Amino acid sequence: MSTELSSRVSAPPLSPPKLGGKEGGRRTARQTSGNLARRKLTQNVAFAFVWLAAFLAVAALIWIIGYVMVQGVQEINLEFLTTRPMGGVTGEGGMSTTIVTTLYLVVLTIAIATPFGVGAAIYLVEYAGEVERENRWVSCLIAVARTGIEILAGVPSIIFGLFGFALFVVALGFGFSLLSAGLSGACLILPVIIRTSEEALLAVPRSYREGSLALGATKWQTTVNVVLPAALPGIITGVVLSVGRVIAETAIFWVTLGGSYRLPTGLRSAGRSMALHVYMLAGETTAFDKAMATAAILIAIIIVLNLVINYTSRRFAARMMGSK
Amino acid sequence: MVIAGGIMLSLYPEGRASSSLQTLLATVITAALGIVLAQGLWRLQNWARTAVTLLLVAVGLYYGLTVVFDAAAEIFGGEQVVPVGTILSITFKALLRLVATGFVPVAIIYSLMRLGTDFYESPSQRAFMDRGVRYVLLATALSAIFIVFLIIVFTVLGSREAIEKIGLKTMLLGTVWRPGSIIGTEEAQFGLIPMIIGSILATFGAVVLGVPLSIGTAILLAEVAPPSVREIVRPAVELLAGIPSVVYGLFGMVVLAPLIRKIQVPYNTGFGLLNASIVLAVMLIPTVTNIAEDALRAVPKHYKEGSLALGATHWQTILRVLLPAARSGLVAAVILGIGRALGETMAVIMVIGNSIAIPKPLNGNPLTLFLSTARTLTGNIAVEINYAAGVHRGALFFTGVLLFLMILLVNSLARYLMRERLPS
Repeated sequence: MSTELSSRVSAPPLSPPKLGGKEGGRRTARQTSGNLARRKLTQNVAFAFVWLAAFLAVAALIWIIGYVMVQGVQEINLEFLTTRPMGGVTGEGGMSTTIVTTLYLVVLTIAIATPFGVGAAIYLVEYAGEVERENRWVSCLIAVARTGIEILAGVPSIIFGLFGFALFVVALGFGFSLLSAGLSGACLILPVIIRTSEEALLAVPRSYREGSLALGATKWQTTVNVVLPAALPGIITGVVLSVGRVIAETAIFWVTLGGSYRLPTGLRSAGRSMALHVYMLAGETTAFDKAMATAAILIAIIIVLNLVINYTSRRFAARMMGSK
Repeated sequence: MVIAGGIMLSLYPEGRASSSLQTLLATVITAALGIVLAQGLWRLQNWARTAVTLLLVAVGLYYGLTVVFDAAAEIFGGEQVVPVGTILSITFKALLRLVATGFVPVAIIYSLMRLGTDFYESPSQRAFMDRGVRYVLLATALSAIFIVFLIIVFTVLGSREAIEKIGLKTMLLGTVWRPGSIIGTEEAQFGLIPMIIGSILATFGAVVLGVPLSIGTAILLAEVAPPSVREIVRPAVELLAGIPSVVYGLFGMVVLAPLIRKIQVPYNTGFGLLNASIVLAVMLIPTVTNIAEDALRAVPKHYKEGSLALGATHWQTILRVLLPAARSGLVAAVILGIGRALGETMAVIMVIGNSIAIPKPLNGNPLTLFLSTARTLTGNIAVEINYAAGVHRGALFFTGVLLFLMILLVNSLARYLMRERLPS
């Protein structure tokens, strides 16, 4: 059981290796007969490069975060946090309304995407298998659904923005508004929630389901009362991941949210998220210090979210392993 | 009945419906639903329990969020500076409101859940629920493909005007992008070649800079590093994926641009392909590293053991056995990285200069091509969509269609490669 689960969870991208054969055999023979010291030297040089690569990647991260934090923190104070942007080329004012707009957007996108995402994951994990064996028409539909999720996961955010602009802003007449932005943003995080929920459901041992079904519960009762509670921490991890995606997203909101720095008064009013505020300050004003400060707050939020994800996913994995 | 009344009260706190007729209608419907639910509860029907629980959860969430939103709007309303004391008192009041009003629904939900076994459900009801839910779930599973379908329909519909008036060939092969609304007197031209070249060059630069780093990091994580180093490097790479693209863009503008400007070449502004390539290279590290590491880890252990047993060093094993065995996964990782770089928007438009000319070397040295400003397909959409109209907007939608097709092609290729599996 456990091997079947793990092979489904991690998708190993692989090809058949070209081992053996005449040429491969000769090459190996030549090398193993080589000078050991020389081979050790080659290994040390190669590993030095590998270490350097990883060091550069980590250094880039530290440089970016460190620079933004050090530059940004100087500008952060109560006034910056609790007054709204004033507009103009000098970028006067604080960032308060962008905090509220970001909060609204997060709640809106999560509220729209989570039911669909978790529902889709439940269907694909719990129901698709048995249906695929019975009904050819439905199994075709399931294959289409899976392809759709894979395509959606690769769509760049500006395309979501363009789509949201065409459908929600123009065709449905929502205008540049929280509603348009929330609906477009929900499309962005839908595949994220589906995938993480799928993984969480797959990690629940089959014995849980068998126990519940053996007691006479229906499939749906088993799913709601047994499988979902067990998978909940994993699903929450996915939701937190999506929160991070929404907070970091800019392109979609640049073309659907309108960019107004006033406090949104309802679903139909325009606004400006924190990430969008960074872009607009850097692109349209001279207030790089304030852009840095906003970026520093964004990074702080993202770091906290990452810590939460690491903690919950580790606990979830430990619990599922322990119960197998 | 009490519960029905409570639901009505919480749904219509101040009678927000616009006309009295609407209010009346809404009240009648709510009352009827409430009576049906109350009757169901009275008879200990399980469906009523489920419905009431869900309704209470929805109402409770709605109300709780309203409290949070109100408090946030009060603190961050932004008209004047709010002192710490006021913030604390607003937060405290909001918490008090949450606890005071949230207590009742939470208590009801809890007791309904505890009383689960006392409620009755006939086998036919249970089977009906079980079957009905299947279709609802299938519908949610199809939501993703439905969105993909809508995206295709709406971007293609949006570009129809441009395809009809300008023509496919002119847009795909035209070398001049000059939307009439900017220049005014001259005739508008919508050739996408400059953006296509810009996208390809920026992506190429990002791959050249980023892929060696990513594959190196992946080898370190999968094979070389002791667990303690892995515990540091992996979260760092994950964090790179989480950082907002505007932050990368801002970093490119403020830190990288002045550095690149130090290269003594005429017309070097610091903004351009090199800057964009560096920023994109860092952004594609997490994508490529994760997939490449998965590919390396998925190589069956006995491949490695066999090689080591033959006397090969660890590095020889990595180079001659693991990397070739994981080859298609590694290629897929690079291709997905290309997809990521092609689709990135905000970071790129902040650092690439967005000029609409075809990038060319600034002086005799061909490498100065990368110091030239350029514009990508994604940037073309983002820079102009907010004010474009008519044919111009159509041409931007066509840019989107083109980008979507490119990404689709790239990602399908990667998926195809990732499907292949090793016999273990």
